[in-house]
Amino acid sequence: MEKVGIVGYNQVKLYSDANYGRYEMIFEAVRGALDSAGLKKKDITTVVSATNDYYDGRTISNALTVEPGGGYLADESKVEMDGAHAVLYGLMRILSGNHKLAVVWGGSMASSFPYHTARLYETDPIWERPLAYVNDITSAGFQMRAYMEKFGVSAEDIAKIAVKNRKNAAKNQLALVEAQNPNLTVKDVLESEIYADPVTELMVAQPCDGVAALLLAPEKQALKITDNPVWVIGVGYNQETYYLGERDLSSSKSMELASKMAFNAAGVKNPLSEIDVAELFEAYAHEELILSEAIGFTEKGKGASLSSEIGGDMPINPSGGALGGNPPCATGLIRIIEAVKQLRGEANGYQVKGAEKAIASGQIGLCAQNNILYVLEGGN
Amino acid sequence: MNEKVIVANKGLIRADFNFWVGRYLDKFYDNLENKKIVGNTCPKCGDVFVPPRKICGKCNEVIPLEENWVDLPETGILINYTITPYKVNDRAFRKVKKPQTIGMIQIDGSNTALIYRLLNLEPDNIKLGMKLKVEWEENTKGDPSDIRGFMKI
Amino acid sequence: MGRQVCVASAGFSEHASKRSDVNMPELVNEAIVDCLKRVPSLDIKDIDAFVNGNMPAFEGSNIPELWMTDWMGARNKPLMRVTTGGTTGGSVAIAGYYSVAAGLPGVDNVLAIAFEQQSQGDTSVGLASVAYGEISVMNSLGIPYDQLTLLLSGGAAIGIASYQATNYMRKSKITEEDLARVVVQNRHNAAKTWWAHLKMPDLTIEEVLDTPYISYPLRYGMVCPASDGACAMLFTTEEKAKDICDIPVFVNGVGSIANETALIGYGGSGSGQLDLSEQLGAQKTSEIAFNQAGIHFPRKEIDYAEVYSPFPNQELMWVEKLGLFEENTATKMYETGVTALNGELPINCSGGVNSTNAIGASALERPAVAALQIMGKASNQVPKTVHTSLGHGWGGYVNLVTMMVMADEPVRKY
Repeated sequence: MEKVGIVGYNQVKLYSDANYGRYEMIFEAVRGALDSAGLKKKDITTVVSATNDYYDGRTISNALTVEPGGGYLADESKVEMDGAHAVLYGLMRILSGNHKLAVVWGGSMASSFPYHTARLYETDPIWERPLAYVNDITSAGFQMRAYMEKFGVSAEDIAKIAVKNRKNAAKNQLALVEAQNPNLTVKDVLESEIYADPVTELMVAQPCDGVAALLLAPEKQALKITDNPVWVIGVGYNQETYYLGERDLSSSKSMELASKMAFNAAGVKNPLSEIDVAELFEAYAHEELILSEAIGFTEKGKGASLSSEIGGDMPINPSGGALGGNPPCATGLIRIIEAVKQLRGEANGYQVKGAEKAIASGQIGLCAQNNILYVLEGGN
Repeated sequence: MNEKVIVANKGLIRADFNFWVGRYLDKFYDNLENKKIVGNTCPKCGDVFVPPRKICGKCNEVIPLEENWVDLPETGILINYTITPYKVNDRAFRKVKKPQTIGMIQIDGSNTALIYRLLNLEPDNIKLGMKLKVEWEENTKGDPSDIRGFMKI
Repeated sequence: MGRQVCVASAGFSEHASKRSDVNMPELVNEAIVDCLKRVPSLDIKDIDAFVNGNMPAFEGSNIPELWMTDWMGARNKPLMRVTTGGTTGGSVAIAGYYSVAAGLPGVDNVLAIAFEQQSQGDTSVGLASVAYGEISVMNSLGIPYDQLTLLLSGGAAIGIASYQATNYMRKSKITEEDLARVVVQNRHNAAKTWWAHLKMPDLTIEEVLDTPYISYPLRYGMVCPASDGACAMLFTTEEKAKDICDIPVFVNGVGSIANETALIGYGGSGSGQLDLSEQLGAQKTSEIAFNQAGIHFPRKEIDYAEVYSPFPNQELMWVEKLGLFEENTATKMYETGVTALNGELPINCSGGVNSTNAIGASALERPAVAALQIMGKASNQVPKTVHTSLGHGWGGYVNLVTMMVMADEPVRKY
């Protein structure tokens, strides 16, 4: 796969209830990304957005975001998945040779809609939905129990991940204030309110308001735009089957296959030794372990033994991850941006020293049914 | 064409949606109304699906509508569960009076799992792998709510 | 960089106002089976990646492809969901094209799928929510009620289309009879298309003009139906296409240019400063797509066109704005039979969206039919040989446009 350059990025500060409009937020993110690369609206040839009609509360959510997203008279489309999937479509458009600068943005305002109810609308309407037992929260309960039972992992091990990510988030200026807690303990996490046993409140990535934007350009253009580009050298995406009862929830088949595809493209043989930092979209604390195992950092069930703090063997989510704030349709895109920051040495306060190769992931669906993984490489 | 309809819950969009269930599920719901559980089998891998379906996703095989039906018992084992104090389909995500225990139950002789409430079971008494039995609603309507939940045998 | 992309096949489910014999995944499966029937050497397991889309609010399901994974054969396969409202199908087709063109390792055969089972929901409510969203959500967003009333008067797609129709009629000085003529041609064509919805082989202009107005100048007999249906299209590389089908169809140009929404009216009601029959987005889209495809005189070089026109005035407008005919001459072309099945430049021989409208699928059915016409495998095949064709779509607040230009010969870019 040919290299594609990431030449600019921007993310707005995450708020649990941002006191400003959705379109201002989109404009701020996209304009900020263009400014970061010294580019103008006229340089944009294509725009790919990630929004969701249900999350935005209107049909054709992208019809009204054309102008703030920089899409006026540009080749525009929308991916109704995670922002990380929109980056994939932007990448395809660049790789095809048809486009020279792609703006990819994603986001929503979770404060304006009942997020967990909206997730219920993802379920099978002719069997599971009328009963209303399955949504994101209860399925996470199933997932965490399956993982603990299969491998004998304790709730403490999983709470430790929540502690690590929320402590990391405290160093990240853009993270959600409510998620930042430098003094959090494992006991606090385990004793927080039960959402769906064994999942507790502090293990859940809190939906919030936020938009992020990223600029992609072909190799030649990227080198003209910036002397500090980050290269996308591999991508993999995959979707597993839907019904929870037919899936092995203790592991992630889709991430296994997605990472295989991405690592093949990037020529990565041993992820643990070749990758310097990982930003994974963990909607729940236990998903970070399941995803990192599927990627191949450790054997299945051994994820908790990996030292994943900043300065550890494999720093995972130094930015705080999704637990540091989860704006639907932007979270995966923010993971990519955070990985880019690490590779450019711009992660103030949570920089992993000497990071040269990073991975970033995005997901959608109950229990991360569809996963996408990027392999990124620093320009220097 | 048969016109079997399930009205899904109202919620985010204030319009009623009447979902066609298709012929496979139609047969399933007819049986459910008579307090019977049926499934169908993939002719290739032999997996048994409850509820029945047209395609086996593993083999990409069409399961003919007229064949491969299996009568199943109303017993099964618990393969996973969670306990939540929340009302799952509530707009405001409000709590219910008593936390509900939601289990994943594999009906004996099938390869899939049903997700239903576990009735009259205290959290301390729940064990994965325990035997459970269907608790039927008194007046069945031929829709998913005909099964009220599962009880310990 | 990039690579040549071909269409190897396309397929449809049967369309009707109520496909109550199937559920959504089964409906989608029908289209996939029909699509793969034309490429017997290919199995569903040979599909490397999927692109999928519909209009989720009409269906009452968010991201339904999660649930229908197994019915599409997409288990453990890469899948991307693209939705852009009315243009969803066109956007899905273009995403299918880009999935192949990008040359990601291991992604060669890409199945693009779009569907809608409109009988399940109240589509006019869904369509109206194009304009006003859900009321309670609007409240929580703090959208004022005055905007709401304005939008209600806009009245969903037909509201916008009426404004557009009156604008167009004033400029090009056409009559209601001219609109009815377009409808009659479409419904006659639909009668010869196996999967079409409104098949009316004996419809006359008088009969159309006899039906009551829904919203002036559009009468009941002129507007599209709401259909249940699905469509699938197979994109692949040049090498593989030559192996699996007789006449590979090359995708030579794609475009989807967005016009502004702000001037279309307060909140997109269609009552704003911008003349909805201007269509700057469509003009730019066709300019880009034709340019990529090396087409300089569309009127001469395009042999067949499928344009997205739920309402007859739009068909007249699009064929002009896309550059197929001169401004204000389209109605003459319909009168003189240029656009008929055996005409010089046949338009919408499938019956078009005017006869079959499963919204999410509609804009995918346009390039699908256009490709099949080149292969000579369309249901209502034109008698002349088709070398180049185009499929078009519109959506959003009439501000989103998609277009795909195809031919039996490639334009070598790579």
